[in-house]
Amino acid sequence: MLSNEAKIEMLRKMLLIRHLENAWGKAYLDEEIDGIPPALSTGQEAVSVGACAALENGDFIFTTHRGQAPQVAMGLDPRKIMAELYCRASGYNKGKSYHVTDFDSGVVGMGGIVAGQVPVAGGMALAQKLKMNERVSLCFFGDGASNEGAVHETTNLAAIWNLPLILLCENNGFCISLPVSRQINTAHIFERAAAYGIPGEMVDGNDPLAVYEAVGRAVTRARSGSGPTLVEAKTFRMGGHLVHDPQRYRSEQEIEMAREQCPIKRFSRKLQDEGLLSSEEYSQMEEEVGLVVKESVEFARQSPPPKVEEAFEDLWCSERC
Amino acid sequence: MIDRRLFRPEATVSPEKSDWLSFRAAINEGMREEMRRDPWVFQMGEDIAKAAPFGVTSGLAKEFGTERIRDTPCSEVSVLGAAVGAAMGGMRPIVEFQFGDFISVAIDQLTHQAAMLRYLTGGQVQVPIVVRLPCGGGQRCGSQHSQSLYSWFAHAPGIKVALPSTAADAKGLIKSAIRDCNPVLFFEHKALYRTRWPVEEDCRKQDFLIPFGQAAVRREGRDITIVATLVMLHYSLEAAKELEKENISVEVIDPRTLVPLDKDRILSSVRKTGRFLVVDEAYLSCGIQSELISMASESLFSELKTAPRRLGNPGVPVPFEPSLEDAVLPTKAKIIECIRSMMKS
Repeated sequence: MLSNEAKIEMLRKMLLIRHLENAWGKAYLDEEIDGIPPALSTGQEAVSVGACAALENGDFIFTTHRGQAPQVAMGLDPRKIMAELYCRASGYNKGKSYHVTDFDSGVVGMGGIVAGQVPVAGGMALAQKLKMNERVSLCFFGDGASNEGAVHETTNLAAIWNLPLILLCENNGFCISLPVSRQINTAHIFERAAAYGIPGEMVDGNDPLAVYEAVGRAVTRARSGSGPTLVEAKTFRMGGHLVHDPQRYRSEQEIEMAREQCPIKRFSRKLQDEGLLSSEEYSQMEEEVGLVVKESVEFARQSPPPKVEEAFEDLWCSERC
Repeated sequence: MIDRRLFRPEATVSPEKSDWLSFRAAINEGMREEMRRDPWVFQMGEDIAKAAPFGVTSGLAKEFGTERIRDTPCSEVSVLGAAVGAAMGGMRPIVEFQFGDFISVAIDQLTHQAAMLRYLTGGQVQVPIVVRLPCGGGQRCGSQHSQSLYSWFAHAPGIKVALPSTAADAKGLIKSAIRDCNPVLFFEHKALYRTRWPVEEDCRKQDFLIPFGQAAVRREGRDITIVATLVMLHYSLEAAKELEKENISVEVIDPRTLVPLDKDRILSSVRKTGRFLVVDEAYLSCGIQSELISMASESLFSELKTAPRRLGNPGVPVPFEPSLEDAVLPTKAKIIECIRSMMKS
């Protein structure tokens, strides 16, 4: 059972994701940063926050191109996340990648190739099994990635080898412009689990507590040696694929419906209805999160870019073992 | 030395060769020693535990069990990815693909994930994997089982490439590969598996390692330098021996690893002879032959006595039909003819 404090912390993290990403998006739209536009998780914050709350120290997550939500959910330093997104030397990856990684915290940022992270997560789960360390790996992937062969192969391999792997399909309804209804011929992705002989579950991805519970069940199974689970979290992408995307392929009505499902609105109302949080406390939380984001942006702006020599570093590992 | 009986039972070994080391046994011995030394070394591949395709992993499952010698389904992407993730998690995986050509199915996991993750994470992770790839033509295995694809991977940043041509090298290089902290592709020419070699006593020892990036001069000469790999190295040595009768002195260099490449050893030889030929089974277009010739031309242009030449697959799939296959791949006769023409100019 989650304590009241833990639930409030979940809401705070969801807010932090929203505001941190908005600041990143704004930096792009204001032409402060350039390059491939930010991929935001707006509307999907509950999936990461619920899922990561079910993990323990030493567990690993593998993220997608929409990776900021799980990074914040895992408790990474927002200043170092923002510095990385600004390509600054003080970022987690020394400013050298879009995909924030903090290996010591169990966060591996991937997603340059759709579904490329899934087989690697399976491998980490294999290492965890072979080392018998009772740790688990959780792999985020989207509805689009679910149609990649890498997911099929990895799910099967994890099933036959009984790997401590949680396959978390974050179904946000769209693969860029293609709605799920035109990507797959069935109603749900989680039903595929039956074909691999593993448990599958569908959950309301806009309810962090429901995600926490569903992923928690999968984590318990994985940690106790009962193998992988496929969890499909149904959520909504409130914004475009990337921040510059005007979403001409979606109707106003459909976007409005997604906005109505905003997980932050829903969860803050729930906590307030249950008397866990007053509206003043919520306003204060928003203010505090805003301050953290402001500091993070300042931190990023003041950090230098990586030295030019860094372009030639970190390819090879010079150690011998 | 090289036969075409890859799938046939091995002939009885003559008594004088009974203590010689076969190429496949050398790899097996190297892996066995490393698995005894390091409990985190484990292997994945199709049929490696119970029916080792070319016999390279024979007997290992008996000693190490099927947790460490893991048979896999036909799933190149997830198996290679499993190696990448396990390596990041502190394991030291060895993957076997039954035919090296199958790496094409899993190329993203190799070139984007295994090879780039260290760079992209600012050096936070290491990916010590070895991928063993039976390769090469001349065995009537067909176009999708006979290629020499190392040019693809020497082209990509972050992947080491080893090409053993003798039993001693196979053992010393596989041990170095397993101890290396980077992704290593280990190309094993199928035609070499059955070959047997007298080896020094040192080679049978636990600490016998061939370092990466050190070419071997297999034959010294003064008129022309050949760089050749795998089976083409042996054809080149045979050609050199024949040309000796014509008073042409050929130096033959085996790079042993393409990445890292022993540029100094190759360039100093070409500087000495002034003539440079590269022989390899790789497709000629953008192949490893071109890379070596560019390297020599950039450094030694004014010292070359004649235009460098390259032999390789001219750019067709390796044919299945025996006489067609011979027409496509370099042979001893083609090497001799090429050297004669280079000596005339």
